[in-house]
Amino acid sequence: MHDPTPPVLQPDPEETLFSVRELRYRYADGTSALSGIDLDIAPGDRIALVGHNGSGKTTLVKLLCGLLFPAAGTIAYRGRPLAGSHLDQARLEIGLLFQDPDDQLFCHTLIDDAAFGPRQQGLAPASAREAARVALAQVGLSEMAYKAPHNLSLGQKKRAALAGLLAMQPAVLILDEPTTNLDPQQEEIFLNLLRDFPGTLLCISHDLIFLYELCDRAVVIDRGRIHHDFTMRALVSHRASLRGHGLDFSFRLAGVAPVHDGGIGRAPVRISPPAPTGDAVPETPLVSLRGFDYRYPDGTRALGGVDLDIAAGERVALVGENGAGKTTLLSCLLGLRQGSGTFRFAGRAVTRRRQKSLWRRVGMVFQDCADQLFCPSVAEEVAFGLRRLGCPPGEIEDRVQETLARVRLSGFENRVPLHLSGGERKRLALACVLAMSPELLILDEPTAGLDPEGEELLLGIIRDLDVTLLLVSHDMFFVGELTQRTLVMHRGEIGCDLPTRDFLADEALGSLNGLAFTYRRDCSSAIRELQHEHEHSHPHRHLHDHPHRHGALVHSHPHEHVHEHPHRFVHRHDRGHEAHDHAPHRYHEHDHPDHDAEPHHHDHE
Amino acid sequence: MGDILQIALPAWQFAALLLAPLGLLAGAAAGLRRMLKQRSMNGDNPDWSVPPLADAAGTTLFHRWDVRCKIAALVVYSFLVASLQHLTPALAAVAVSVLALVLARSSLARALMRLLAITGFLAMFLVVMPLSAPAHPGDTVLVVTGVDWLGFNLRGLYKALAIAAKGIAIALLMEPLLTTAPLPVTLHGLTRLGAPDMVGQMVLLSHRYLHVFRHEAERMAAGMRVRGFRKRTDLETLRAVANFLGMLFVRSFERTERVFDAMRARGYRGHFPAPAATRMAAKDLVLAAVWLAVGIGLVIYDRIFWDRIFWDQICW
Repeated sequence: MHDPTPPVLQPDPEETLFSVRELRYRYADGTSALSGIDLDIAPGDRIALVGHNGSGKTTLVKLLCGLLFPAAGTIAYRGRPLAGSHLDQARLEIGLLFQDPDDQLFCHTLIDDAAFGPRQQGLAPASAREAARVALAQVGLSEMAYKAPHNLSLGQKKRAALAGLLAMQPAVLILDEPTTNLDPQQEEIFLNLLRDFPGTLLCISHDLIFLYELCDRAVVIDRGRIHHDFTMRALVSHRASLRGHGLDFSFRLAGVAPVHDGGIGRAPVRISPPAPTGDAVPETPLVSLRGFDYRYPDGTRALGGVDLDIAAGERVALVGENGAGKTTLLSCLLGLRQGSGTFRFAGRAVTRRRQKSLWRRVGMVFQDCADQLFCPSVAEEVAFGLRRLGCPPGEIEDRVQETLARVRLSGFENRVPLHLSGGERKRLALACVLAMSPELLILDEPTAGLDPEGEELLLGIIRDLDVTLLLVSHDMFFVGELTQRTLVMHRGEIGCDLPTRDFLADEALGSLNGLAFTYRRDCSSAIRELQHEHEHSHPHRHLHDHPHRHGALVHSHPHEHVHEHPHRFVHRHDRGHEAHDHAPHRYHEHDHPDHDAEPHHHDHE
Repeated sequence: MGDILQIALPAWQFAALLLAPLGLLAGAAAGLRRMLKQRSMNGDNPDWSVPPLADAAGTTLFHRWDVRCKIAALVVYSFLVASLQHLTPALAAVAVSVLALVLARSSLARALMRLLAITGFLAMFLVVMPLSAPAHPGDTVLVVTGVDWLGFNLRGLYKALAIAAKGIAIALLMEPLLTTAPLPVTLHGLTRLGAPDMVGQMVLLSHRYLHVFRHEAERMAAGMRVRGFRKRTDLETLRAVANFLGMLFVRSFERTERVFDAMRARGYRGHFPAPAATRMAAKDLVLAAVWLAVGIGLVIYDRIFWDRIFWDQICW
């Protein structure tokens, strides 16, 4: 049972910026998206909006921006309902940053795009352009002002989209997954920009470490309802609540095996036929590149002199800043692009003819898994590649079932892939590849857009696989957990090839490649402190709701009351017995075996 | 006018006559492609940063020309060129377009890319029209010895060359028309000339999202290829392609909704802000008049002067 007491001081109704009452929203097909939402947001609040994929977070922010209209209930902005001319005015004061920056950059140059909002606010063209210039300078894109959006990297696009909002000098900034797919350097730039924002901030993200650094209040949404309204410190320090809402990222802090059943601790599952073993034969690398170059059709050099060996069964990470050439290298390994130089797979040169059949031996899960899901049902999606391999129908059916079970998607056979949640889609994309038993499995940013529960589940599944793995990721935790060797790419070349342990320990190397993450380390330490455990007793207030009896009156009904009693709970701290503070608001679950018989008083209606 | 003049040629000469122009065109296209690729490969390493530091507004006559006058004059001029019937006036129109390219300091590479894009279309005319043009009295027709039914009509070739020249002239003219002002400005000018505002907005957004759509389609196609999809003439391929197109449509539809939401969230209420104030001066009108005069001059040259010469030659 979670403590329902709202531990955050609610804003004074007079000062409330947003006031949401009994809000309900239904999708066009009748599905309830939000129900009974009550929320007050004060000027200057910095709120993290968190919850499972599909819990209703994006719907709520769209309602706050007036992009959707409530089925019931009210939303007031600055004391007036969000409708009519007040809505038009509110849209000019509320900036909404979309998850995909391409949705937001709809003009032809960055400066036109950044000037769009100010022009809508009524500024003269020259003033709007000046505001746009200032905003682009703020996000560090002054010199890109006349570039078209499609010529920018993802990180630059995200910053450009933010510039479009900052140019409007919004009172409220709402961000939907602002750091998804960004490399650590871009993420840090983004964080610094948002730290300096003086207005009200509402941020949707699954990255609680980023949110911890940025926000001071956390609203947890679960199945369309607000389940908790915590301080950020209270949320991250309470693992039970985090786990209850699929937000427990503590596995990232502790580096311990996650708890999903059947996940860790079992023998790895072999998904490809075992490599032939010869007594005296030296092992041939599964993948071998020598002096490998690739140029785009327009002549731009993307890869230059790549030398790479990956042995069968090895787990390798490929890291580097956005635009370093990682995706191009993967395309070459998949046979989608033809480079020059030597490329050998399992000891045999990959000729143009062999390149066409590489798909039988190399599988890849794309960064955006929607790119590889196009069938009308989950079962057909998994069977697609197996049909291409020429498997008989019976075998296809068996392998589909087996693979779906492995990625914890049993029972999803007839579901439409498009309607699955982000985490389910990612696992389905993985299933599609695993079903084909590839010798080399490539994962491109597997954690992008996943909630912590989905990440933990995916981590368990990947850890279980016995396959040669090439992991491309900006997520240093996943790199550390899943690989033994790391390749660092920079401007189309492999700059370093070293054990993952050494790579993670080398801060200078990380900084050089935009991968240093000092704030993450600091936040993680701070959160670990909040989550520490030890054992002692102390009196505390307790609010609960249960059937009971009291005095002469024996009855049973749910009720709420506050009482104080000593209580033991477990926590641990590694620095001995020195004095320490607890988290500002601790929640815990415990039974009251004698409480039902205790005489006590409370009002009855 | 006399009878149809038939000239019999050995089969190899006839084949050479057909294939030589095609070979020349294909060679020219390949050469152009290689040249363009070579040009972009001159810098050995990619240019990782250097972006344009300012709006690339030029100072040429075309850049300074009021966009409404420019559109009206060049579009009307293009129609006049399209109405030419003879090769020499059409070649004169090509010369005018080349002059316009020089005056506008347009990129040669881009102009050549435009020509590359229409090469196949023009090649089709050059092959089909001589073989399909009906023989009229006075025409000269080349035939293969012993195969009288297959004739290569020189009048058809002449007409095809005239069409190709007109096509090239108009394609080259698009460069100074479309690249001497940003697209939003050009579309704004079009709207000011009476075209529906919504059409302008749709073109603007379509142009922006064509790149996004193309990348999305490429990524999806790659996703299918890495799972073994190869196009074949079977039901399985048909089903896969239908799924691919359906998914692409669904994703595009969802994107349009998100883009529209993003626009509304930033205050869009049905209109894009005008990109710049447009002012028409007397010199803009004079320039438009000059262009139209050139166009009318070409038509007169074509209709009065060349009609007579052409028919004299045919009669000969």
